[in-house]
Amino acid sequence: MTISDDVQVPGAVASRRSLITLRDVAVHYPVKEGVLQRVTSHVKAVDGVSLTIPRGSTVGLVGESGCGKTTLGKVIAGLESPTSGDLWFDLDPSDAENVDRLRNRDPKSMSGEDRETWQRLQGQHRLGSMSREFQGRYRRNCQVVFQDAFSSLNPRQLVRDIVGRPLRVYNEASGENLNQQVLELLERVGLGPQHLLRYPHQFSGGQRQRISIARALALNPEFIILDEPTSALDVSVQAQILNLLVSLQREFELTYLFITHDLGVVEHMSDEIAVMYLGRLVEQGPTREVFDNPFHPYTEVLRDSNPSLTGDSVADGHRRLTGSVPNPIDPPTGCRLHPRCPVAVSTCGWRVDDVLEQLEVSSPASFEGIEAVERSSEFSAVIRLTDDDASRAMAHEVTDLRGALGNVEVDVRRDGKELRVDLPEVDDITLEVIEPGRMSACVHAQSGNWWNK
Amino acid sequence: MAHDALLRVEGLSVDFQTSRGLARAVDDVSFSIKRGETLALAGETGCGKSVTARSILRLVPQPPGIYSAGSIYFQGIEESEPLDVLEASEQQVRALRGDRIAMVFQDPSKALNPALTIGRQLGEVFAEHREASVFESAGLGTRSRGASRYLRHRGGLVRRTAYRFTHPSATKRLTDALDERVLQALAETGVPNPRKVMTSYPHELSGGMKQRVMIAQALACDPDLLIADEPTTALDVTIQARILDLLSELQERKGTAILYITHDLSLVRQIADRLAVMYAGRIAEIGDCRDLLSTPLHPYTQGLMNAIPRAETKRGELAAIPGTVPVLIDAPRQCHFVSRCSWAGEACTTHIPRESHPLPDRQVSCLRFESAAAVGAAPGDMPEQYASAEVTT
Ligand SMILES: Nc1ncnc2c1ncn2[C@@H]1O[C@H](COP(=O)(O)OP(=O)(O)OP(=O)(O)O)[C@@H](O)[C@H]1O
Ligand SMILES: Nc1ncnc2c1ncn2[C@@H]1O[C@H](COP(=O)(O)OP(=O)(O)OP(=O)(O)O)[C@@H](O)[C@H]1O
Ligand code: SF4
Ligand code: SF4
Ligand SMILES: [Mg+2]
Ligand SMILES: [Mg+2]
Repeated sequence: MTISDDVQVPGAVASRRSLITLRDVAVHYPVKEGVLQRVTSHVKAVDGVSLTIPRGSTVGLVGESGCGKTTLGKVIAGLESPTSGDLWFDLDPSDAENVDRLRNRDPKSMSGEDRETWQRLQGQHRLGSMSREFQGRYRRNCQVVFQDAFSSLNPRQLVRDIVGRPLRVYNEASGENLNQQVLELLERVGLGPQHLLRYPHQFSGGQRQRISIARALALNPEFIILDEPTSALDVSVQAQILNLLVSLQREFELTYLFITHDLGVVEHMSDEIAVMYLGRLVEQGPTREVFDNPFHPYTEVLRDSNPSLTGDSVADGHRRLTGSVPNPIDPPTGCRLHPRCPVAVSTCGWRVDDVLEQLEVSSPASFEGIEAVERSSEFSAVIRLTDDDASRAMAHEVTDLRGALGNVEVDVRRDGKELRVDLPEVDDITLEVIEPGRMSACVHAQSGNWWNK
Repeated sequence: MAHDALLRVEGLSVDFQTSRGLARAVDDVSFSIKRGETLALAGETGCGKSVTARSILRLVPQPPGIYSAGSIYFQGIEESEPLDVLEASEQQVRALRGDRIAMVFQDPSKALNPALTIGRQLGEVFAEHREASVFESAGLGTRSRGASRYLRHRGGLVRRTAYRFTHPSATKRLTDALDERVLQALAETGVPNPRKVMTSYPHELSGGMKQRVMIAQALACDPDLLIADEPTTALDVTIQARILDLLSELQERKGTAILYITHDLSLVRQIADRLAVMYAGRIAEIGDCRDLLSTPLHPYTQGLMNAIPRAETKRGELAAIPGTVPVLIDAPRQCHFVSRCSWAGEACTTHIPRESHPLPDRQVSCLRFESAAAVGAAPGDMPEQYASAEVTT
């Protein structure tokens, strides 16, 4: 199930320096159970994300609640270590190319020149392996503004100390000089000297969000992760904050990763958008193009679920998504959307569990008759039933199910009361470049058989 | 007395004691909600939406909060006389909370107990408010004190109980019935893998999942009035839409009235029958939701509508309302929007606007809709009068 090496690099904007480059990043949280708190499984919060954030741009990140956006943000901020994959900082186009060429190779098999390049990249650009000096530089350069400004501000600290803390920690300023710098930071976000000696609870939500932004700006970062920075604010305060973010970006050439659920906001703010579903990126491209002409059914559903300020139609895109949100501990194979996708086809990654789930709905009585299921893989299993009649009936039922499973070829062989069910093995469907700058992880887009055209 | 109103808030004022004096968070607010109706409450951060909502359940902490004026009448289905929540006994109020009136809070992480699994917390709700029906589904007709105590123990209310040792089989059935209830309530909100969620602690869930747990908890007891304080702010649009479906389905089935607090005006348009817009503790405008959004009359509502990002707005050029909300400690008797209003006249700094009704089913509190004579101000001091031609937009 490995991906061939010569695929085009997702997210590569060849002409520009990439500030953040993620390659196959995964974060798996252990799930502990029982009295002994043994690790029984893992929540695949982020599972194989490759993303490039060009310098000076705003990349919007949207997706289902719980799909791993905040976790991804934390990984980029260095607040969470990835379970696997790598994260690179500040690569010029040729370095980015080198990373992609060399990252899956064994350094022992590299030419001398390549090995040197690789060592340099590792030491200066890769989060986790770069030297202390570079690590420090990265931390200063990458800041986060969290959704809930209130719980991320220490309630017992004065605004001066909250905003001044990064300056003190990094020994940038102290005493009178510190006050002066804090004041300048507050002014940048539209607050004044009268706010210096107040506590967070004495501010409104919008003002608190400004304080978080001032704190994030303290060390003159190049990159800020904005995790739903305006979700708790009314539209007028939101407009002030968004305008502020745009003017700061222009003045200091900042790069933003903008996480939000508000599609209107993301459309307004971001150059590019990345759409996430269940730990994976499913689509990426220039924001306007993606919304005008989505290359992934999930993006289309998102867009059509967004309530509108005009028109009489009710946003009911979500009704096209059938079934419930799958379990991130055991995510669907192939394309993770397939059990809910309105336009799924045979190649979307159907597995034995899908057959069983459908049977449970369509033929509950025979489903009850299942004695055991022995899986030899996700795509192949032997179902044992109570008797021959039951297995004969189920063989028919499984064949009849195909329509609900995108007309996938299900191979059903009966042997007495046992039923052997085989489905075609499908690799994980990952982002591929469809058009220059536009990527999708849907088989329709990848094969050119559009569902909506 | 209008008997179709489930809830009537009349002249409600709430103050907070602060080190600098009394701060007025809610100022002479009146509105009503009919049975089965959805009223949306929108407005600037800090304008008093949550305090208004919490007052309905008498949940504003006292001190620092003070109910300075007004009444909140709740007309429960069986009562013949409406209950004034602010005057009622503690016992009467507790009987309302979570049962007749349920609330989904703005910040789910604060409302959930971090030390209990989700299953236990939801179990507590059922054990407290729906004890009889849990017994019934467990096939236990009579409730003994021991069984009852056990149920609450399961729910997390009482720590120790001997019942489970003396009645193992009844215990099992009760536990199963309770779990089944919780499971069903969770499944209705569309959380993935509800069984897993039941055994999770709040910190293990994403923001969206926590909010759905809160909603499951609120809907558990089929309340007459559901107060939803920005329940979907943290959710993606597909799950938001699903929860709205869930709410409207509940509303249709049970005739539940909903007070929906949000700052998302496009969402409001989709779900609410009526809309009230608040500014600095007062109601600026109230009326039929779609009409109000298509022809906002109050200058503040107009400002809000203009601030929404639209496809044609250039980046960084959103029309924010200039200025900030005034401090409401010893605030002068004036329109609180005056420092930010482009229409403002001299009279706006000396008079509190009264309610006018320029359109059917519309109430606006702005001097542009009042006559100089009625206000008692010199005509030259009045803001430019509203001309009905403006409505044609
Ligand atoms: N510390 C943790 N331990 C276990 N699971 C976790 C932890 N943090 C997050 N998760 C799980 O990881 C998944 C992704 O969570 P994350 O908070 O990144 O989602 P999100 O996309 O930011 O969601 P939302 O839109 O609701 O904020 C969720 O299933 C969540 O329950
Ligand atoms: N416990 C409290 N102590 C002191 N002041 C309070 C308290 N709770 C609320 N306030 C004040 O009352 C005012 C109204 O607050 P409220 O929470 O109702 O605003 P809101 O409209 O819900 O805002 P948001 O949209 O940000 O949730 C605010 O100025 C707030 O500072
Ligand atoms: S690959 Fe495309 S069609 Fe198939 S399930 Fe995924 S989104 Fe749907
Ligand atoms: S009363 Fe005066 S200041 Fe207040 S909203 Fe109306 S015109 Fe503006
Ligand atoms: Mg998040
Ligand atoms: Mg609030």
